Amino acid sequence: MPTVSWAGLKNYYFLLKDARFWNSFYLATVYTLASTALQIVLGIAGALILHAQFRGRDFLRGIALFPYMVPTIIAIFTWRWLMNDMYGVIPYALNVLHIPGMPDAWLSRNTIMYVLILLSVWTFFPFVCVNVLARLQTISPRLFEAAKVDGASAIQQFIYITLPELRNVLLIVILLRGIWMFTKFDVPWLLGFGAGSGEGIRTLPVYTYQWAFAFKQAGMGAALSNIVFGLTLAGVTIYFIAFPRGDEE
Amino acid sequence: MLAQKRVEPGTKVHMRFWVPNVGKWGLRLGLFLYCTFPLYWMVVSSIKSSTELFAYPPTWVPHTISFTAYEKLFKETDFWTYFVNSVVISGTATLIVIILGTLAAYSLTRYRYGGRKKIAKFLLLAYMFPPIILIVPLFIFANSAGLTNSRLGVSLSYISFSLPYAIWILRAFFQSLPVEIEHAAWIDGATRMQGLFYIVMPLALPGIIATSIFTFIVAWNDFLFASVLISIDHLKTLPVGINDLFHRAVVDWGLIMAAGVMVTIPAVIFFVAVQRYLIQGWGAGGVKE
Repeated sequence: MPTVSWAGLKNYYFLLKDARFWNSFYLATVYTLASTALQIVLGIAGALILHAQFRGRDFLRGIALFPYMVPTIIAIFTWRWLMNDMYGVIPYALNVLHIPGMPDAWLSRNTIMYVLILLSVWTFFPFVCVNVLARLQTISPRLFEAAKVDGASAIQQFIYITLPELRNVLLIVILLRGIWMFTKFDVPWLLGFGAGSGEGIRTLPVYTYQWAFAFKQAGMGAALSNIVFGLTLAGVTIYFIAFPRGDEE
Repeated sequence: MLAQKRVEPGTKVHMRFWVPNVGKWGLRLGLFLYCTFPLYWMVVSSIKSSTELFAYPPTWVPHTISFTAYEKLFKETDFWTYFVNSVVISGTATLIVIILGTLAAYSLTRYRYGGRKKIAKFLLLAYMFPPIILIVPLFIFANSAGLTNSRLGVSLSYISFSLPYAIWILRAFFQSLPVEIEHAAWIDGATRMQGLFYIVMPLALPGIIATSIFTFIVAWNDFLFASVLISIDHLKTLPVGINDLFHRAVVDWGLIMAAGVMVTIPAVIFFVAVQRYLIQGWGAGGVKE
């Protein structure tokens, strides 16, 4: 067993002054906000697409869940290969289409965050999609018929009928995805630390893991875990104050 | 969904029908491509020859098909060992979660005792606990309990964080099943357990299937717990084993893509077969009719 000694609050004081801690907090926040927002947008879009009746709808619904079913590590490797600076097909396609402002090496420290967000959105948007779709299917069509009779356009129908009906589902889904993105370990770790350039995505969970299992300091790791927990709890509390649930349960 | 175009006098009538439809099908195709292209690329990359794999510009459809990556995967790596480990661990965890979850959900919905609602809310809270927060104390605990480097230890850790969600979903399902059916069975002489087994569970099958899929996938895909708790090579699970492939001297992308295909195929087949139940199961957790 490793030697254990009482440190009091020393670990926390250290972290407060630690630039890498604040950097990882910042990265975690950026990652959370960006990937959650995009997952929600894409998930709702996907749900709307899958809501209408059309031939092959059930098939497409199954396909839409594929990214979520793919094991995370596989998704990460596949995207690493897709974005490979020399042989990756996506940088190649962007090049051929002459899209301006694209970085040369997506997986380098400065731009790897974009890849992280991209692949997280791809992998996790089906969760939003399925939950929103399930709710969409229970909205009474009469609401839409009445609105159409009153002359509402499709966009108006979306804003004034669909979104309010989706409010409770979205609140829960946004909360869950937010928590999970903030505390995600394996995606940033496997993307960035399997092979270098990891500092660009050293989020809080990754930093926690490094202290606990790479530097082998359980105390520091525990302190960081507590901080992550505290931040998550704070976030959830603020969230519930800002968006009280019209309770359905 | 898209706004209807107003028909001006003289416009061909079929325009009004044709344009929005192209848009809709375009969106559907877009969704399809978005979800499948990375997987297509993975499969294609696994069957390209090494020279073609590193061709520039990259080829969209392979010119030659070669299975050497798969040969290497099975002959030169411990892929099957990892595969078996993953199956055993995930299967055990799923089975135990279903058994315990069903019993717990049944208890929460069919018996009366104080604190039932509090337990349910607590379950939701436990579900939101992200693994990274649990891993440090869990590892210390597993270490002193001798559960490191054991498949049982990993299984138990998966059970610990899948069970709350399982109970939550199953509870929602059981709640929606009318008690009268069981009462009718009791009148006919069935015991409680028979009622649970022969009536409630078959009716709740979508929820049970959805829960087992979710639990299995969480266990199958996990990296953090498997890598922290197991360091002996022949006990490693697939995610950990495949990650090791990246740490060889030369990164063999064809091999990695082949491994990806082999790991994804079971998940996809499994999932396609029960997809209907999954959407039903997920829907029931948050929506009341």
